[in-house]
Amino acid sequence: MAALTASAKERETEPGVSGYEEVASLGGNRFWRRFRRNRLALAAGAFLLFLLSLILLAPLITSHDPQQATRFQDFLFNPGSDYWWGTDAVGRDIYTRVIYGTRFAFLAGAVAVGTALTIGVPLGLTIGFFRGWIDRIVMRVVEAIVAVPAVVFAIAIIAVVGTGLVRAMFAIGIVYSMIITRLTRAEVFAAREELYVDGARASGASNLRIMFRHILPNIAPVLIVQTTLLFATSVLAEAALSFLGLGAGPKQASWGRLLRSAQESIDQSIWPAFPPGIAIFVTVVAFNVFGDGLRDAFGREARGGRVGVGDVERADLSEGSAAGVASSVSASPDKNALLSVRNLSVRFPRPGTTEDVDVVHGVNFDIGKGEVLALVGESGSGKSISALSVLGLVPDPGKASASSIMLDGKELVDMDFNELRQIRGREIGLISQEPSTALNPAYTVGRQIAEPLRYHLGMSKKDARTRSIELMTRVGIPDPEVRIDSFPHQFSGGMAQRVVIAMALACNPKLLIADEPTTALDVTVQGQVLDLIGDLAKELGVGVLLITHDLGVVSDLADKAAVMYAGEIVEEGRLVDVFHRPQHPYTEGLIKAIPRNEVREGELPTIDGVVPPPWMWPKGCHFAPRCPHATEQCREADVALRPSGASQARCIRADELDLIGVAGKNKSGSLPIVDAEVRDD
Amino acid sequence: MLRLLVARLLGAIPLMFMVGTLVFFMMQLNPVDPTAFLLGDDTTTETVERARESLGLNRPVLTQYVDWISNAATGDLGVSWFNGEEVTTLLKKRTLVTFSVALGAMAIAVVLGLTLGILAAIKAGRWQDRLVTVVSSLGIAVPNFWVAIILAAIFAVKLRWFPSIWTAGRTESLWGWVYTIILPCIALGTASSAAIARQARSAMIGVLQQDYIRTALAKGLPVRRVIFRHAMRNAAIPVVTLIGFQLSALIGGSIFVEFIFNIPGLGTLGVQAVQRNNMPVVLGFVMITTLVVVIANILLDMSYAWLNPKVRP
Repeated sequence: MAALTASAKERETEPGVSGYEEVASLGGNRFWRRFRRNRLALAAGAFLLFLLSLILLAPLITSHDPQQATRFQDFLFNPGSDYWWGTDAVGRDIYTRVIYGTRFAFLAGAVAVGTALTIGVPLGLTIGFFRGWIDRIVMRVVEAIVAVPAVVFAIAIIAVVGTGLVRAMFAIGIVYSMIITRLTRAEVFAAREELYVDGARASGASNLRIMFRHILPNIAPVLIVQTTLLFATSVLAEAALSFLGLGAGPKQASWGRLLRSAQESIDQSIWPAFPPGIAIFVTVVAFNVFGDGLRDAFGREARGGRVGVGDVERADLSEGSAAGVASSVSASPDKNALLSVRNLSVRFPRPGTTEDVDVVHGVNFDIGKGEVLALVGESGSGKSISALSVLGLVPDPGKASASSIMLDGKELVDMDFNELRQIRGREIGLISQEPSTALNPAYTVGRQIAEPLRYHLGMSKKDARTRSIELMTRVGIPDPEVRIDSFPHQFSGGMAQRVVIAMALACNPKLLIADEPTTALDVTVQGQVLDLIGDLAKELGVGVLLITHDLGVVSDLADKAAVMYAGEIVEEGRLVDVFHRPQHPYTEGLIKAIPRNEVREGELPTIDGVVPPPWMWPKGCHFAPRCPHATEQCREADVALRPSGASQARCIRADELDLIGVAGKNKSGSLPIVDAEVRDD
Repeated sequence: MLRLLVARLLGAIPLMFMVGTLVFFMMQLNPVDPTAFLLGDDTTTETVERARESLGLNRPVLTQYVDWISNAATGDLGVSWFNGEEVTTLLKKRTLVTFSVALGAMAIAVVLGLTLGILAAIKAGRWQDRLVTVVSSLGIAVPNFWVAIILAAIFAVKLRWFPSIWTAGRTESLWGWVYTIILPCIALGTASSAAIARQARSAMIGVLQQDYIRTALAKGLPVRRVIFRHAMRNAAIPVVTLIGFQLSALIGGSIFVEFIFNIPGLGTLGVQAVQRNNMPVVLGFVMITTLVVVIANILLDMSYAWLNPKVRP
């Protein structure tokens, strides 16, 4: 009994409204298509139909009387040819009784669920729709009933209405109606906010009509799922109450009654407890699986991904693919650079298949000491995942490989998780995009800043706290002595990002990876945070890998730029060169998309389309489908990164094209974009 | 924290008042005259009248209600119609028995459920996860009284490792107590552990995909610390919610398990009272089980505030 009430309530707490699509947007066909794919739920449904058919078929497929022993001396027989599943203590055929038991199981479910829906749906609709005092009063009563353990309340109702199968299940139904009421009410609250209710009201529909015609059909999926699951718990409830003698009477061969009589003769034989027990179990599993299947078919597709991270493997270059076309940069790492990455590739399984696709392919870059490299590209270009590879934090099931990742003379490829731990946080600090989610909500910021200090540097609690306050002062958080004991949610976005920066800098790392550090922030604080990162990098001599989709934000921070598109670096060079003389049409597109401090007519130019998913990347130049300058030749063969102008670009037409860059840097050093310079054709 | 506790305790008073009122008036709907059961065949008008008078049933319902609820507020739940015993005394000892069985079951369910759920989450998509998912989906469908029957039959009746009959003497030492309630606790805890494992798994998987887990990993912390410090505390929030529901379910479920192991707890008392139409005992049974659940939930609310700083006042 414990399980049934618990699971019913547990399910109730699962996301209701948000987890389902509106009926309007989910055509019946789509529902069936999704449901049909779920073989397990289909099998469960078929099994339930089979059980349902037993209600009628029971007399045809059994050969004994469910109430009377065929021969009274045949008691406690083991399974055999006469009695397939043996006999009970008074000689009745267990098989016959279990088959007849389906009648009581379904009757019990129908009574309980019917009662629950009859009371719960109209009540929930009413209080959800009208709210106000009626809602408050009813909810007080509901809360009181829900506070009583469900079985106990059902027993109290049975004390009033009397024992018996139907009465007991009516009592259970009343308890369940509380679940339905709350569920319906919550769904109506959400549905009320939806546009279709406003629409119906505007067209003059009455309250009753709105409730039953417009709201009810849209919350039906939730109710259908809940009904199925309640049916399962009702089967358990029937067995439990009949077992206690409060449900089915001695003349009714319900599964609970069967268990009761098995219990009475348990000293002599344990066998009779199994068939009814298994019957209950299998039926409940079938209802649960069927209900879960319905829920999944109604719901938006939500799939829990794997958790975990992967280390970087050594790239297998024997295939030559990566090394061959990847670049003209020497495949051996630059020993003088702070960070030197060679032939970095990341593979992910294509969703829904087992086939792996490269989301990052043959990426090379170098960052010198104290240098800032901007890795630029649209979302989906593979820039963030490239950066995470350096830390060995590519999320499962991704697999990263590289021929070399050198950090200050140390080879990171082939390091295992624990060796990399000494690098993470200590030599490389990470600043991520969204400060509000990057900080653990359960701990004070002080503890989170102190954590790497204590772990890597072995500082005492007190020292770590002192150092944390210093760090907070350094990143410009006012009142650090007080704020150190605040929780992340008590900080604004900009301040929270400063906390993250303090945390990343805690152990004086050599390299800072900043993954879109300002994207989630207010425009007004974006500049401040970028300036802070820039100043700290200069002051502490830290190399920075700055990932961004916005060329504009890096203009006065970065020394070098690498532009990524569809898993490849398409252009790289000194920032000035890339800005002034872009060599790749994609870079030109990004430059055009930078907002400028001047009045301009029309919309901001953007590059048409989006980065396609990795399995759609074309042969040849990945950018060709979106490129205004693409020719047939571009689509023929993979394009290598090659010297072009002052930079390197992955474009075969780089020399013949006249791409538009930025005129020059203004003196103040703020946004340097004055206007585009148009070169003569 | 203390203020929150006091506020919650004060909030429980109107709730208990509501429950008492509701159940009291619900009992008045009983069409059967309670004296009929007490008197058996001896039902002359005179004896019935006398019985009604001695039970106080001849007074107006409202007077009875005010009487009962004001006494209940002071902890006096009246006397049993059946043998005149104080309901409060009757309940006191049995509450301890039921509560310890439910608590033991909860301990088993939490430890087992969390272990399995976290294991499944860490190994998401691998065989360990699939095994836990299948076992826990099946586990929530097993009726706990059936587990109790089987456990009792095997370990108590057949193997005689554990007692099948409640012996008052044995429960006086701590070990004897544990020894006596261990089987009932396992039987009761099985289904709950499956439910907790499912919830823990999905909560943990959700949390492990959060940015702050990546931040923690990027700091160079060992996986152990990331899971047990950074992930678990956040994943615990929905699990605690479920534990609240489970506690209520376990108190209810102990009724069945007590029945099988012949444990003199609240459940056996309550069922007997229902069968005998013994209203004061039924009322007391409802009130005491509800009170236990309400207090337990207040304690869980406290742990929420500890787990989730955002809800702290």
